[in-house]
Amino acid sequence: MEKRATFSNKFLPYLLVAPQLAITLVFFYWPASQAVKESFFIQDAFGTTSNFVGLENYRTLFADPYYFHSMGVTAVFAIAVTFASLSIALLLAVQADRGIRGKMAYQTLLVWPYAVAPAVAGVIWIFLFQPSLGYFAHLVRALGVDWNPLLDGNQAMTLVVIAAVWKQISYNFLFFLAGLQAIPKSLIEAAAIDGARPTRRFWTIVFPLLSPTTFFLVVVNIVYVFFDTLGLIDAVTGGGPAKATETLVYKVFQDGKLGGDLGGSNAQSVILMIIVIVLTSIQFRYVERKVTY
Amino acid sequence: MASVLLDRVFKTYPGGFTAVKGVSFAVPDGGFCVLVGPSGCGKSTLLRMIAGLETISDGAVSIGDRVVNKVEPMDRDIAMVFQNYALYPHMSVYDNMAYGLRNLKTPEPEIRARVSEAARILELDDDMLKRKPRQLSGGQRQRVAMGRAIVRKPAVFLFDEPLSNLDAKLRVQMRIEIRKLQRRLKTTSVYVTHDQLEAMTLADMLVVMNAGRVEQVGAPLELYERPASVFVAGFLGSPPMNFLDGMIEKPGLVRLSGGGELAYDPAHFGPPLGAEVKAGVRPERVTFAKEGAGLSFALELVEELGLGQLVHGRVAGNDFTVALPASHNAPSGETQKLAILPDAVHLFDRKTGARL
Repeated sequence: MEKRATFSNKFLPYLLVAPQLAITLVFFYWPASQAVKESFFIQDAFGTTSNFVGLENYRTLFADPYYFHSMGVTAVFAIAVTFASLSIALLLAVQADRGIRGKMAYQTLLVWPYAVAPAVAGVIWIFLFQPSLGYFAHLVRALGVDWNPLLDGNQAMTLVVIAAVWKQISYNFLFFLAGLQAIPKSLIEAAAIDGARPTRRFWTIVFPLLSPTTFFLVVVNIVYVFFDTLGLIDAVTGGGPAKATETLVYKVFQDGKLGGDLGGSNAQSVILMIIVIVLTSIQFRYVERKVTY
Repeated sequence: MASVLLDRVFKTYPGGFTAVKGVSFAVPDGGFCVLVGPSGCGKSTLLRMIAGLETISDGAVSIGDRVVNKVEPMDRDIAMVFQNYALYPHMSVYDNMAYGLRNLKTPEPEIRARVSEAARILELDDDMLKRKPRQLSGGQRQRVAMGRAIVRKPAVFLFDEPLSNLDAKLRVQMRIEIRKLQRRLKTTSVYVTHDQLEAMTLADMLVVMNAGRVEQVGAPLELYERPASVFVAGFLGSPPMNFLDGMIEKPGLVRLSGGGELAYDPAHFGPPLGAEVKAGVRPERVTFAKEGAGLSFALELVEELGLGQLVHGRVAGNDFTVALPASHNAPSGETQKLAILPDAVHLFDRKTGARL
């Protein structure tokens, strides 16, 4: 039985949550509110004055075809990375769960990529796929593909997807493995007696029972793709060629940090924030209902 | 319908631990066999070997007239009821019961007919069929697990401690229902339990196991009345049999190590003179003597059960329990004399534990 703590002192509970609240306010709400505020201003070229312009920044943004292009890129990137990293991680976790020899070593090795910093991961993949020097690039060329991600937008996208997927597999693998181990063995045995062969057992019993884990990972991966891939894209393609890999978060960085358009950049980050809030709440509201038992 | 035959079956785990050591017995077609024994005696392992969930290290398991050692669980024509029921939590009760039939590609109308037939037998109404397992009580889940087993009309039912997660009252009720159901369907059943009362009441055929071996096989009453070993004698019956160590002084008389003597029926037991024995007496076969010479009983505690009384005390240095029917008055006074008829005494070899 879970016991609830009760406090006789009225202020003690507030005192206990104060550090968490302070961190949330200072590092999350304050910058977010600054972004909202700044999105209504335009700064001059030297950053000395800023004028209130209302929704002007947003109007400019929605008149910009590149902005919609960037949304499309982000959608493709998010779907590709989430789908690929989840499926590969699930496949690896199912193998690891079968109690193979050297299971611990296998699991430990699979987790390592997660500890690699995004920019470093990016550099590794650049080396491997560098058109004239890269090892994989050489292999791909040998297969007859005209490999040059520096010029071909689709190839550049493939490259960042591979790098992001590689980074994310470890994390997804750990959660899938834990999820698989939480499924009672007797259910699998009951299904085996009930005449379901391994493949059918997986799709009718294991996969549905894993859906809370899958759902959680979909949310986490989408948020990862939206925000945390900035360093990776910057290292691998710099958003190019010809904006082929310029995702929303990269465009925020590009326009604000490099382009100096702080107001426009803030407007973009406000929209990005809204998109993620909407996506996450849709997921929690409609999907979660179907996946809890 | 099929018989189940085990022929010198062994189970050795990769670590070298042998859980089942050469078990042989045969369950006739339509029989209800109960495997009973303490935790770790290998009974569940044995059941899982019959089901095909554990490999068989040596020996042969046959269902019907087919050796099934290498046959997949799904092809053995069995159904199993698990201790935790193992209901698929994401499926409705109906889908749980239909799952096995769907895997066999049974036409949907026939599935519907068979599920509703099972639901009728188990008294599960339509509303319940639509629910998810988590919305059911323990007893209802148990019924669904049974339903899932019977819709497939298997040759053999396997039960792995199916009642141990239920409360005492429900356990008695479900025990009766399982027995009635088996009588009606006449399906060969193998049932594992550690509860000797469940074992006694359900079985046509009782297999008592201890440390991976079979101690005794037979009808429940036969085992109760003529236990083949100290283990079986002590395991079956509640409260358990009382044991007193002693030596055969002359035919028909045991001299107890802790002092006193005990008469037995020499027509049933023929141990040599001077043999070291363990004498066993069931608590319900003992009464208190009004007067005269008997073993002296030092009273320690009286437990009132309503149905009768359990009187705990010590005899010749051993713990001893007497079960009295309700009509008797509880004894008063600290020392009593025991009245034990010679034919109530069982004798076992003190070293091997075997019946003499």
